[in-house]
Amino acid sequence: MAEQRGTVGGPVLTEWFATADLHKLDVYEALGGYSALRKVVSGMTALQVIDEVKVSGLRGRGGADFPTATKWSFVPKDHPGPKFIVVNADESEPGSAKDRYLLENSPHMLLEGAAIATFAIGGHDAWVYIRGEYDLPFEMLRDAIAEARTKGYLGAKPFGADYPLDVHLYRGHGAYICGEETALLESLEGKRAQPRSRPPFPAVKGAWGLPTAVNNVETLATVPWIIRHSGAEYATRGTEKAKGTRMVTVSGDVQKPGNYEIEIGVTYRHIIEELAGGALPGRKLKVFWPGGSSAKVLPASMLDTSTDLDGLKALGTMGGSGGIIVMDDSHCVVKGAARLLRFYAHESCGKCTPCRVGGNWAVRTYDRILAGEGSQLDLNILDRVQQGLQAGRCLCGLGDAAGWVIQSTMTHFRNEYEEHSLHNTCSVEKVAVGA
Amino acid sequence: MVHVTIDGHALSVPDGTLVVEAAKQVGIEIPVFCYHHKLEPVGACRMCLVEITPGPPVAQAACIRPVQEGMVVKTQTGMAVQARADILEFELANHPLDCPVCDKGGECPLQDFTFRHGYPTSRIDGPRLHFKKPIPLSPTIALDRERCVLCYRCTRYYDEVAWEQELTVGARGVESFITSQFDQPLKSIFSGNIIDLCPVGALTSRVWRFESRPWDMTHTASVCSKCAVGCSVTMWQRRGQLVRITSHENDDIDEGWICDRGRFDYTDVNDPQRLRTPLVNGSRATWNAALVALAAGIKGKGAKLGISLPQDLTNEEAFLFRRLLDGPLKGAKVKMHGRTAIPAPAGETMRIRELDDAKVIVVVASDTENDVPIVNLRIKKAVSKLGARLIVVHPEGVDFDRDRRTVHIRNAPGSAAAEVRKLADHELLKSPGGLVAILFGDGHGSEDMNELAAACGALAEKVGGKEMPLYRGTNERGALATGVAGWDSLDGVEALLCWGPPLTSGVPASVKFLAAWDHLLRPAHHKAAVVLPATTFAEQQGSYTNLEGRVQFLRPAVAIQAPLKESWEVLTELAVALGLDLGYAGIFPLQRDVAASNAAFADLARPPAPEPEPAPVLIGSTHP
Repeated sequence: MAEQRGTVGGPVLTEWFATADLHKLDVYEALGGYSALRKVVSGMTALQVIDEVKVSGLRGRGGADFPTATKWSFVPKDHPGPKFIVVNADESEPGSAKDRYLLENSPHMLLEGAAIATFAIGGHDAWVYIRGEYDLPFEMLRDAIAEARTKGYLGAKPFGADYPLDVHLYRGHGAYICGEETALLESLEGKRAQPRSRPPFPAVKGAWGLPTAVNNVETLATVPWIIRHSGAEYATRGTEKAKGTRMVTVSGDVQKPGNYEIEIGVTYRHIIEELAGGALPGRKLKVFWPGGSSAKVLPASMLDTSTDLDGLKALGTMGGSGGIIVMDDSHCVVKGAARLLRFYAHESCGKCTPCRVGGNWAVRTYDRILAGEGSQLDLNILDRVQQGLQAGRCLCGLGDAAGWVIQSTMTHFRNEYEEHSLHNTCSVEKVAVGA
Repeated sequence: MVHVTIDGHALSVPDGTLVVEAAKQVGIEIPVFCYHHKLEPVGACRMCLVEITPGPPVAQAACIRPVQEGMVVKTQTGMAVQARADILEFELANHPLDCPVCDKGGECPLQDFTFRHGYPTSRIDGPRLHFKKPIPLSPTIALDRERCVLCYRCTRYYDEVAWEQELTVGARGVESFITSQFDQPLKSIFSGNIIDLCPVGALTSRVWRFESRPWDMTHTASVCSKCAVGCSVTMWQRRGQLVRITSHENDDIDEGWICDRGRFDYTDVNDPQRLRTPLVNGSRATWNAALVALAAGIKGKGAKLGISLPQDLTNEEAFLFRRLLDGPLKGAKVKMHGRTAIPAPAGETMRIRELDDAKVIVVVASDTENDVPIVNLRIKKAVSKLGARLIVVHPEGVDFDRDRRTVHIRNAPGSAAAEVRKLADHELLKSPGGLVAILFGDGHGSEDMNELAAACGALAEKVGGKEMPLYRGTNERGALATGVAGWDSLDGVEALLCWGPPLTSGVPASVKFLAAWDHLLRPAHHKAAVVLPATTFAEQQGSYTNLEGRVQFLRPAVAIQAPLKESWEVLTELAVALGLDLGYAGIFPLQRDVAASNAAFADLARPPAPEPEPAPVLIGSTHP
């Protein structure tokens, strides 16, 4: 049984998570599950579904924060051949585990949402691209799909309607880049996972060259609730511009790390100090990543920042995929950044030059700094590398994210960088580095 | 048309034009590595970053952005200039400093762009990544992974243009490297084009490797002599040697691709054993003595004389042979090497370029990959990029089968004509919606060509198609027009003149007098009474008529060294020795006569205009 986590304003996603065996179809259905899909296929038009989601103000929860209804409406309505919903379940962002939490608790919620979305774009098939390492969620989804097909909720005539809908499962190939939507499509086609250049966008030319909308697990899992209740009711939650609730994963130096559903607009102080229990005894929070490792860091002094997505954008950072990573004063930011850069350099697909070379160059520079061989030159290199990774220089967002790590940590913790580079000391860890 | 402004220059370009192409029209260089105008854009190298308004205030890749009405492109803002310099710095961070011994040095975009767009100083002080190098990708191509900038032009070319599965990328991130599939040597006949495509010295020719520096050579635009397609090539000369052949883009025929036969098959030109003086009975002789001896051996033999002609016989040589066969050598039997059994065309045939417009392409009785390689690539382009459908009638598997939409009718050898007759009712040909291209070969002798040509003609008439006979011999079509593309058996002749390479079947036992015109002294020539030293495609003047009927000029890349003589000169002098004075003192009067002799050669009277000078590159010019 899943543990119910605290939410504000009434939960949406985790509404039924206290129920035992929610992953079973009869339990899910007894609570009201699949009523949204039934409603959609037996009376609504695709346009009505899109309009309902538009009213809700739902935006993509994978990190890009793009209005979901708009994305669906980009898929050409008059396209004669197949169209697809592709579910991005390749949750690989360091610090984020919310999709896994949703899948392990309520796989049918995703299936229902994916089927509704497929109906909304006028397609018949959805593909779930699930992270290769996600064993349990894969098995649960597989079983859930089998259950739904047996019941006839997925298949040739869902709920008796003459509109075939099906969901297929595809296991990912084990790379961070597979979560980037166009690299995911390449991987889904059996190719090397490398991002495509845009245009054309997936809505026009996506999976197998056909119109495709790629949506995150959490985004689609929200859709049944919106159809059941109404877009307007969903829109009562959240802030004026960023509606609804969202999942966050809190990890790092807090007392109660885990997944929480929050109403958008609450502060990070509320999430970190109240929901996650705040810093460990005797420690002080120093820095947190507000939306996965790819979001620019904020120092603890900015804990009162709102989770309002536009507000975060104004600060130059983002709500991203909701992975909140917290670090306290016992950890060195330079080492943390170096660790993340190793991740980004390792996961760079190698397609575009800045990310392929820049990430690796940054790693080598960090290595030199941490080995006590740093100098002002190395700080200059880091600064130029981070500029060279950002603002359109790279083919996809992976390079930008690597650049943001360097840039934001250097902006807020310049002193720690200078201690390491120029004096070969670390006041945080109180030991001479490289000694 | 769409109106855009690039660095202050207002221009209008067709909708869909990429920014990088639009900039070329006003002479502004936007540097590129991954972008190539014959490949699909990928936006991988990020070298072409510019600033575009309206749009977000970030650098944008000019190679993947189509123009939009009112777009303003700036290549010289601080952000754009810095973005490109940063990319170059990244490209150089692991690039080895072996420019002094790199074959690409001097014609290397990475060098040029670094000079024109890079930072003036280097901050790269760390160790560079290393790979084992060079790696032989094939007997003719070497790969240097350290120099590679991973632009993927080679792998994309293999996928998109050649439809081959031999080249790919291994590992990921900074450790990515180009590798052949399963480390097997490249086998494709189209492999050499990746050398031309490579913007750095990562892919180099092993045939040319360390032979010369690019600035040390002169280059001449000419035409390839290896098959009937007649691709444009550039021949590179250094100190009297032909050291390299590269492509020379001609959209009418080859679109910048050449096959490996045309690219690597040239070293015999520089053979130290080249024959340079005439031989009479194995001893060196003067031209005069040799020609007198030759004339004496072949004169008045009538049908007892056999003449073997090479596939790359020039139009001028063919014309002179025609004159000899009409005069002193009347009645001689003639056999042309490497020709097909396809009869001479009745009139104009389809142009290679027209394949781009075809909606359905029918290929009959030809292994195009080996017979007419660059036509094969043009067909692939029509299918994969222009949406044409393909029907193949051939007994064996062909590389077109890699496209699953290809309709392949595997006929029994000899039954192609019957299959073609059935095609008129084929679903794809009922309403093709445009041009139907009918390409036919001779099945390497398996088909009855009168029947097959008639069947193809009937099909073309029925579906409104155009025919393209796929001749194989380099100048087969020119020889057919002059009537010297003989098909005679040489068995039983008493005198034999081998013009070009020796007979593959050996000299018939009946031959008492053997003469040869060849550039190498081969074992077959040891019995010859007269051997004349021949020029090669690299040094002789003349012209070829390609399979579509286009007359193209050979331009000598290497100067003829005396006592070698032009082939037309040798034949003119032989005619004099045989008692026929044609009176040609130079090749131009000869070419005018050839032009006048047959409408097919009319272009010979109009030598092509000299190549235009390349346009200067503008960098940073913001003044319209």
